[in-house]
Amino acid sequence: MKNEVIQNKPMDRRSFLKTSALLGGSAACANAALNVSSNGFGRGKIDYPLNDAENVIYSVCLQCHTACPIKVKIEDGVAVKIDGNPYSIQNLNSPIPTSTDVQVGAKIDAGICPKGQAGIQTIYDPYRVVKVLKRAGKRGENKWKVIDFDKAVSEVVEGGKLFADVPGEENRVVEGMRQVRALSDAKVAKAMAGDAMNVGKGKMKLADFKAKYKNYLSLLIDPDQPDLGPKNNQFLMLAGRMEHGRKEFAKRWHKGSYGSNNFMEHTTVCEQSHHIAYKQITSQYLGKGKWKPAAEHLKPDFRNSRFVIFFGTGFVEANFGPPIMANLVTNAVNNEGCKVAVVDPRFSKSAAKAWQWVPVRPGGDAALIYAMIRWMFENDKINVEFLKNANKAAAKKGDEVSWTSATHLIKYDKEGPAKKLRASDLGIGSDDQFVVTQGGNPVAVDTNDKLNPVVGDLFFSGELNGIKVKSELLMVKEYAMSKSMQEWAKEAGLSVKEILKLVREYTKYGRKAGAEMYRGPVQHTNGYFNGMAVIYLNMLIGNIDYNGGLIAGGGHYHEDGSKGGPFNLKKDAFDGKTKSFGHKITREGSYYEHSSYFQKNGYPAKRPWFPHTGNVYQEAIPSMDDAYPYGVKILMTIMGTPLLSNPAAQMSMSTILDFKKTPLYIANDVAIGETSMFADYIFPDFAIWERWGTPHVPPSAVTKMSKFRQPTIEPLTDEVTVFGEKQHIGFETMLLAMAEKMGLPGYGDNGFGKGIPFKRTEDWYLKLAANIAAGDHKGDDLPEADAKEMEIFKKARRHLTPATFDLAKWEKACTDANGKSWFKKTVYLLNRGARGEDYTNYTKNVEKSDKILHKFGKLFNFYCESVANTRHSYTGKKFSGISQYNHAIDYAGKEVVGSSAYPLKLITYKPITGGQARTQAVDYWLQAIMPENTIDINSQTALEMGFKDGDMAKLVSSDNPDGNWDLGPSGKKPMKGRVRVLEGLRPGVVNVSWSFGHWAYCARDIMVDGKVIKGEKARESGLCPNAAMKVDTGLKNSTLEDLVGGSAVFYDSFVGLVKA
Amino acid sequence: MSKEELSKVSENLTLETDESRRDFLDKFTKGIFGGLVAGGVVSALAPVQAKANKDGSNLNFSTAFEPFVLPPEHPGEDAILRMMRDLQRALKKPIEQRHWNMVIDLRKCVGCDACSVSCAAENKLPPGVIYRPVIQQEIGSYPNVGHVTLPRPCMQCDEPPCVPVCPAEATWKRPDGIVIVDYDQCIGCRYCLNACPYDARTFDFGVEYIDGAADAPKVFLGKDKAGKYETEASFEYAKEWKREDDKSPIGNARKCHFCIPRIEKGMLPECVVTCIGRATYFGDGSDPDSLVAELIALPNAFRLKEEVGTHPSVYYIK
Repeated sequence: MKNEVIQNKPMDRRSFLKTSALLGGSAACANAALNVSSNGFGRGKIDYPLNDAENVIYSVCLQCHTACPIKVKIEDGVAVKIDGNPYSIQNLNSPIPTSTDVQVGAKIDAGICPKGQAGIQTIYDPYRVVKVLKRAGKRGENKWKVIDFDKAVSEVVEGGKLFADVPGEENRVVEGMRQVRALSDAKVAKAMAGDAMNVGKGKMKLADFKAKYKNYLSLLIDPDQPDLGPKNNQFLMLAGRMEHGRKEFAKRWHKGSYGSNNFMEHTTVCEQSHHIAYKQITSQYLGKGKWKPAAEHLKPDFRNSRFVIFFGTGFVEANFGPPIMANLVTNAVNNEGCKVAVVDPRFSKSAAKAWQWVPVRPGGDAALIYAMIRWMFENDKINVEFLKNANKAAAKKGDEVSWTSATHLIKYDKEGPAKKLRASDLGIGSDDQFVVTQGGNPVAVDTNDKLNPVVGDLFFSGELNGIKVKSELLMVKEYAMSKSMQEWAKEAGLSVKEILKLVREYTKYGRKAGAEMYRGPVQHTNGYFNGMAVIYLNMLIGNIDYNGGLIAGGGHYHEDGSKGGPFNLKKDAFDGKTKSFGHKITREGSYYEHSSYFQKNGYPAKRPWFPHTGNVYQEAIPSMDDAYPYGVKILMTIMGTPLLSNPAAQMSMSTILDFKKTPLYIANDVAIGETSMFADYIFPDFAIWERWGTPHVPPSAVTKMSKFRQPTIEPLTDEVTVFGEKQHIGFETMLLAMAEKMGLPGYGDNGFGKGIPFKRTEDWYLKLAANIAAGDHKGDDLPEADAKEMEIFKKARRHLTPATFDLAKWEKACTDANGKSWFKKTVYLLNRGARGEDYTNYTKNVEKSDKILHKFGKLFNFYCESVANTRHSYTGKKFSGISQYNHAIDYAGKEVVGSSAYPLKLITYKPITGGQARTQAVDYWLQAIMPENTIDINSQTALEMGFKDGDMAKLVSSDNPDGNWDLGPSGKKPMKGRVRVLEGLRPGVVNVSWSFGHWAYCARDIMVDGKVIKGEKARESGLCPNAAMKVDTGLKNSTLEDLVGGSAVFYDSFVGLVKA
Repeated sequence: MSKEELSKVSENLTLETDESRRDFLDKFTKGIFGGLVAGGVVSALAPVQAKANKDGSNLNFSTAFEPFVLPPEHPGEDAILRMMRDLQRALKKPIEQRHWNMVIDLRKCVGCDACSVSCAAENKLPPGVIYRPVIQQEIGSYPNVGHVTLPRPCMQCDEPPCVPVCPAEATWKRPDGIVIVDYDQCIGCRYCLNACPYDARTFDFGVEYIDGAADAPKVFLGKDKAGKYETEASFEYAKEWKREDDKSPIGNARKCHFCIPRIEKGMLPECVVTCIGRATYFGDGSDPDSLVAELIALPNAFRLKEEVGTHPSVYYIK
């Protein structure tokens, strides 16, 4: 039965029209045109097919990370229109119930931003890569040949003299994937992993390790440094935009099957330090000195806030993200009496709606916040009742939900603040109890204790049992008091008057206020600490878990099956699954002191180590350059462009051009992008609307919701055969083909266990969908699609071939190990693209409670013990446990300063039409709105520097005095643009948006199979400012970094402007 | 089409004006916002519905409404759902008893241009044709700065100056207030473009977005497949219009029509549903229970260029 409907396409309206058009003649035939009858014929049947569920497939956008649920409307198999999904709280303030009939849902369109709308033009980019391209000239020369998919897979797997026809590479032998995967025995890997890391920690002697594993030493990168892991780690998979669903697919392949520990994403070029600040502050104590982060992102409840401060972000552009936030905030401001303030050197479109614009000096956020905190302490504007609770029981007793560590005591040693005081230190309790004072007398406290409430003194300093101690809140207060209001204001670049206006308002609304941040405050060397300071503002007014306060959101249904879904993919223990081990190339997740490098060299480390963060994108290629901690043999990038997106990215060009440092580079991309143009092979990826995914919802979604990305059209990439199955080329297909070629475990007929195949992309993703449909507990499952819905489901996919949609195979992918089919429940989800909790749960709760519907209910730390006891890998000094304000410094501790030639502080932003790299070049509608970006300066700066609006200028810096991107064999790209003189920008700051200054994306001509293909010049407009950004003088080949949060630093560079 | 012509077309699409900030502010506060080029002079006002009843046929391009059941109403509901209920009520009345109004709350417009793009996608608008630009301007001086945004659809005037100047009688006003263009009648003279004081009409020169790209189907997607979304039928005036072989709407004057095919199916215009700031409202102004009727009555509601006597159906709130 499966494909009858799909392939047996009846004569549709269009075919009929083609016939009737012959009768009626062309549109010029006025008589025919006037001959209108009530049934509409003569003019063509009067109809509007885009309101029919049979012409709609729901999916999820990814033009930015907000990943809004969308409905894609289809005509003749072509995606013609994208709208917001009404079942989703990200698009409709009050989503329609999941039970709403799909034909009704089809008629309710909801909000989506212009980038989301323009997705159509990303799908149908005339220059979209749909076949595998292989380099036919020098790297970066943009000379290619089309190559058969199977041949390309064979080549990269088996290696050899792959570029023998390229002059200069006749004899270059490339190691293939199979050879780099030295360690393929899962048992050996499992045995070695722990011991190898113990050698790094100094807990096992190298000689003992070598003796124990003498037969396997050749499998390691360096037998003298077994903690670097097996050679497999020399295959680095570097993802740009990769979200849930695909991320786990890739990790399963790369870590679990291939056995490399080097999979990472791009988060540090986005706003990772903001997440790390939240993770550290929300770390929960597990006992035995261990902490576990509980949340990486909270947001104010915009629905009920009366005052929200946006630090370095807003609700209209970027952030996470506009469709949900713009609707909520404009409604709050205009209908609910909310005020907002925007702290940003740039007068953003959010600032345009603000009650106060606070044009802070870039990086001065923590100084501004400490001025506010000082005033709050001096004027009794902190929420004492909330802060005095020392454990869960006290919070409960005080009718609170969450609590803080304000009263907990910190031990001081010779170096200063160290660990939290334990009750065992005073002999009044255990190792896992902290201590507070009550009227100066120490009391043990178990912070997770639900039964015995403990409150403490907020401000205590003294000696207990000869140990110098201080309460956490006192540490914060003393730090706030360490500078006068005038001094803080000066550091923030603001007047005391402006700050007082802001803090008075912020403390006027009790708990119905909040402080919000995203990228602006945290992409600084002091980013993590700036982020902490923003969270402090929330903690001090006690707004956590209150309506209108700081909230964690409604959460999602667990697609990994970890909460009882039919497919537990978190514990997907397939035969031959490998334990990957070894320090990552970026040293993320590793303490320097736990490495053989430390045992050998001590401080300083050659490059920083990042125990508290991950996805340290900007470190990957510079670390390859330094071969620290080891070199890489295969680089694979996916939907990412590190040579454009990283600050000071131009320093990495030489690494990519060097065959010794980058022997093989495989890119996965929808276009020949800024970085993939330097690749050896480009495998075409699916466009977002052709593929799958399960991204998560932002915290501003107050009711529980999951969304699901699925193919809406037949992928435009070539069709190939993998595991005997016809499918289109895309990232997943490529990995499956490589798995097939190498015989990797976990794929094929029994990939998920006996009789459960993993041969097609949807074999994975439909299991995620089934888990969402099944819900998180018994009785949480969706209804089954009825016959009518099944029919709509099939008809809506009538344009898809069996390579993409094969009903029997889809049903099989949703059948669990017990033979139970979850398909019809899954279809119910797929027919809506989202499922969510009843929204009226939220509105009803607001009427009866002052607390938020979905509560977080956990400890918030002022002092982060883990970070406070971590040492800087250069200086060996400890990081601060509390938030601090620091000037920008490099790895070696040298302060970043401007000069007369380079006096301006550079900042960047994302217009709503742009992603960092992807959208603006190919989406013509967005080009029409913003054809180029500009170099923005304030009129005062323009006057001082002799510029006027419309002048052409070049961005220059001490690290790039010529103001060019050096593209190796492809010449140079100047950072040249039109000056825009504005009032809405802090004087002394230069502002350049993302999304422009492309040199690839077929902006320029390229050569394929010996023929020149003309590029489209308009794609090259504007400039990308990254090459003007500061190169770390300690590291010499990469950007400044936040050494705790790992963020790449975008906003601490000084630049100059020259006429061009 | 020559390069020069193309660049003119794209200039039209660049939604910035050359006016100084001060000029803009003056015009804005006086409510006589000028638009992109000098507007036409309103001479005689039109017999607006002259064409509609000519032969008694369905010249309103109107379709029958098939009601559907919206989810239950509840407090705190998104305005989109309220407006869809308003729409259902209006569609149960005869066309003569409805008056469609749009209200744009400038305080809520975030200047994102989603409406412009959504409209272009829905109506398959080629380069140079735009129904709903959003005009944006910075005002004030540091640090007291403002940013003004002004979406500008067709005003669907009750006295539309574009109608009487049409020598082909190809444009007229429907009984529900929408000014429409009969593409089959339009001869492309562009008098109406000049007559409109709001510059709400643009001309379809027959270009496509992908015209400037190379065609390399053996390597890339290629123009044939890439161009399909541009040439699939649009459903303006409840008819299928394919952009091919220089047939209409190529060579026609084009304008916003409040998404007639959508509203008559009970769906809101695209600019309304896609708006992320929920700044655009739509409904039957003659229904006192409708959201737009409430908003029009606000003391801070106004219309553009009241003094030219066009009686726009589009209101603004500031």
